Amino acid sequence: MVKVAIYPPNSLILADLIERKGHTPLVLQKQIRQKIKDPEIDSPPMNITEEDPIKGLKYAAIEVPSGVRGRMAIIGPLIDEAEAAIVVDGAPYGFGCIGCARTNELSIFLLRNKDIPVLEVTYPTNQDETYVMVNDINDFIDSLEETGEEE
Amino acid sequence: MSQNLTMSPDLGTEDWDPDVITRMIFIGPGAHVSEQEIVTAFHMLDLPLTIKNTCYGSMISGKSEDVYKAVEEIRKLDPNHIFTKERGFAPGDPRRCRGHRFGPREGFHQMEKEYRILGFVANALEERKDVKVEPKKPVDVDEFEKIMNECLDKKE
Repeated sequence: MVKVAIYPPNSLILADLIERKGHTPLVLQKQIRQKIKDPEIDSPPMNITEEDPIKGLKYAAIEVPSGVRGRMAIIGPLIDEAEAAIVVDGAPYGFGCIGCARTNELSIFLLRNKDIPVLEVTYPTNQDETYVMVNDINDFIDSLEETGEEE
Repeated sequence: MSQNLTMSPDLGTEDWDPDVITRMIFIGPGAHVSEQEIVTAFHMLDLPLTIKNTCYGSMISGKSEDVYKAVEEIRKLDPNHIFTKERGFAPGDPRRCRGHRFGPREGFHQMEKEYRILGFVANALEERKDVKVEPKKPVDVDEFEKIMNECLDKKE
């Protein structure tokens, strides 16, 4: 079982395709669940605490806006855990859940720089492009299984 | 907009249990089952789950072991058209539930966007088809000039 990071980290299609093959998608919802079930957070709707920008320092420099560091405190651990990654490129504006273009760029940069297999697919707009995307993802996941078996 | 920043909700013991998870079940376009059939199937499993009927399918909440077992069983009804994903908040959580606040639920827009291509994904899963898509290229400069001149000539 391989832990696969996905981008956007809340994607239904990517997470589902990975789970179908028996692997674990690293989704943001699990991180959010940990946050909201934490009894130490007094005001649960405000999911970012003052600790988070400090944790985010592991991934971004101090000059980087606190919003990026706060977001990285949640997404960063997923990137650390990743053994493979699938990234969707060329998605329309507003696709994904991060709500911050710089965090998106930084997360994708960190995934690419990590020494793990990364598949980059283009956001499909029609049926043929979807066939290509699904086939690419399935082939990529199958190749992960093969490399896992070799080890 | 202060309503969107809900007060600290009064949560039950299950809401604080880290082992209790929530999953959303989506029924893709062209599925052979309905939302109601899915909910009935969940009830028939006789597992200790909270089941909610929704417009896109259903939402289940319970101990992770029961939830994964239920999802596995429910997928068998229509493997290529039933999609599932995790959800951070429990069903009806006042911080996300629209019954307690204004505007669409966070995460709805992403869901809406992905639902548009869900039918294509289901088709691709049903039958693998190797197609070639030509990469999109910018318009050739000469071609662009020709079109531009045609348009200008028409104006005159």
